[in-house]
Amino acid sequence: MELKTIELTKKFGRKTAVNHLNVTLTNGVYGLLGANGAGKTTFMRLLCNIQTPTSGKIVLNGKNIVGLGEKYRSLLGYLPQQFGYYPDFTALDFLLYVSALKGLSEKSAKKKSKELLEAVGLSAESGHKIKTFSGGMKQRLGIAQAMLNNPHILILDEPTAGLDPKERVRFRNLISVFAKNRIVILSTHIVSDVEFIAEEIIMMKSGQIVHFGKPQEITSEIDGQVWECTVLAAYAEEYAASFNTSNLRNTDRGETILRIISDRPPMENAVRVQPNLEDLYLFYFKGDTEE
Amino acid sequence: MKKLIQYELRKIFSKRLTQAALIALLLLSVLLVFSTYQNMYASDGKGCEGTGRTAVEVDKAIAEKYEGLLTDEKVQQMMTEFKPKQDLHGMNAVYLYQNALQSALFRSFSDLNGDWNGLSVSDVFGNEKIKIGYTYGLLKTSQNMVRIFVVLSLVIAIMTAPVFSGEYGGVDNIILTSKYGKTKCWAAKVIGSILAALIVTAVVSAINLVCAFILYGSSGLDCSILFAPVDFATGYIPFNITCGTLLKYQILLAFTSTISITGVTLVLSAICKNQIAALVASAAIYFFPIMLPVTEASSLFKIITLLPLYHTQFVSLMSVGQISGNVLYALMAVPVALIFMGIGVFISRRVFANHQVS
Repeated sequence: MELKTIELTKKFGRKTAVNHLNVTLTNGVYGLLGANGAGKTTFMRLLCNIQTPTSGKIVLNGKNIVGLGEKYRSLLGYLPQQFGYYPDFTALDFLLYVSALKGLSEKSAKKKSKELLEAVGLSAESGHKIKTFSGGMKQRLGIAQAMLNNPHILILDEPTAGLDPKERVRFRNLISVFAKNRIVILSTHIVSDVEFIAEEIIMMKSGQIVHFGKPQEITSEIDGQVWECTVLAAYAEEYAASFNTSNLRNTDRGETILRIISDRPPMENAVRVQPNLEDLYLFYFKGDTEE
Repeated sequence: MKKLIQYELRKIFSKRLTQAALIALLLLSVLLVFSTYQNMYASDGKGCEGTGRTAVEVDKAIAEKYEGLLTDEKVQQMMTEFKPKQDLHGMNAVYLYQNALQSALFRSFSDLNGDWNGLSVSDVFGNEKIKIGYTYGLLKTSQNMVRIFVVLSLVIAIMTAPVFSGEYGGVDNIILTSKYGKTKCWAAKVIGSILAALIVTAVVSAINLVCAFILYGSSGLDCSILFAPVDFATGYIPFNITCGTLLKYQILLAFTSTISITGVTLVLSAICKNQIAALVASAAIYFFPIMLPVTEASSLFKIITLLPLYHTQFVSLMSVGQISGNVLYALMAVPVALIFMGIGVFISRRVFANHQVS
């Protein structure tokens, strides 16, 4: 399966959210990274055909997704950033309703709904009204509804928002098992989530892809530019503000170890270290909060 | 599809505002039925008088004596029986109310003093055959139903307004990316809305009619509406139709109003981003004809009366004209309602399927 965007552009008035984007996605898990306003959500909505591109197109195996209609949607699973629900529906009712929308038979809808509630840890709450759920529980329900039809293309917009560490691990495992022979695209601000499960990273900035590749490959971009420096704890904040700092760690000797991204050694005692995805994220998006 | 329609019906009827509106409508129906019943007054002029049940019994007993076709002999008999026994102190006898039949009689055949005005049945009604009997309770029910159906139209708007716009708060993302979101789900929404509206209209109509038949009986159904008490004199339907026909038309027009308002609200629900905006716009369109400076003499009146408000108000629409026999111009409301619904179906589909989530 090949999902391809060709010169995909979406403008909102003068603002260009997605700018002449060309990307080809085949089976695998794609982590979409970018600061707020980078165009991630708009890109995902365009892929879901719930926003119309200003120009360009999206093709699945060579066919425009607009023309595919129901056929395309039957392959799709989508968790939006703001997940809407019916407050008076129970979790099971909601999944059964979405199953009906997705064309599942009554029997398989019940089976699949129960399986997924179990998988996201909500089986004990299946009969509870959604309005009584916490943010994390609603998010887990959102993940479950997206997977009801065993989608070949699963698009998850910030799926780990509101999940506690244990739930995030559960989610990562769920996606890892599910992702085989499918296209899974997930956006998140939690870089470590992407680092663990994404086979490919797509970094977006100002509506364009600035990086596309495997995590190890793309971090090599900043090889030799990540440093660790030990400073007195009293001066740590001052140093952190002066450099592009990805982490501060206090030691029990009254010192702080700063992790700094810089193309030259930031101070004399700086030690070069191996870059990770978070460093790369900060390298590209420091100060980017466009929304 | 059946399952999706069931879910749409569930969504419509589980909304708090809808439930509150339906309860209010039910209470209004019950209140109007029983306050009308309690406020009825009748006197047979021979010492038997009262309100409520007694009044209905007195009216029915008098009507029974004269039931059948209205003749000049019956007019004379009734004039003798109902002649005022007290000084009217200058009041026009037409406004003297003893009982329903007397009031109907005086409206057409009495002079200022309550004496026969010299007119014969054919002078007043031409060649029409006027069957008389106890119609007052049914006519009052019809009058009450006008108010109830106006409120019903608003309730329908309340029920229908969130059908599409209610999804725009976030569920649209899920619906429109699901296999049947833009096709069967839309159809289920439209069918669900129409079904819900028709069910509520049928239940409200049935409650009012059943109450009317229990309280007033059904003997007046084949009697003419022209021989009606003075409250139905000015501006009432001028055609010789029976009470039964009147009620049939009124119920039919309640349904055409329901279908029309559902069509209009579906369009607005699909267009508006929030349900309150859809509801307000729908109510504004419904009441808009009141603002129009069009009188009954105007040629535009025939068109204006085909708008949904006049379906529920129904008297103006039914007074426009008679096509033949018992067939009135009011039947034009049926194609008009279908047009409104057609517009609702067509536009809501286009708008919802092309809705851009935000």
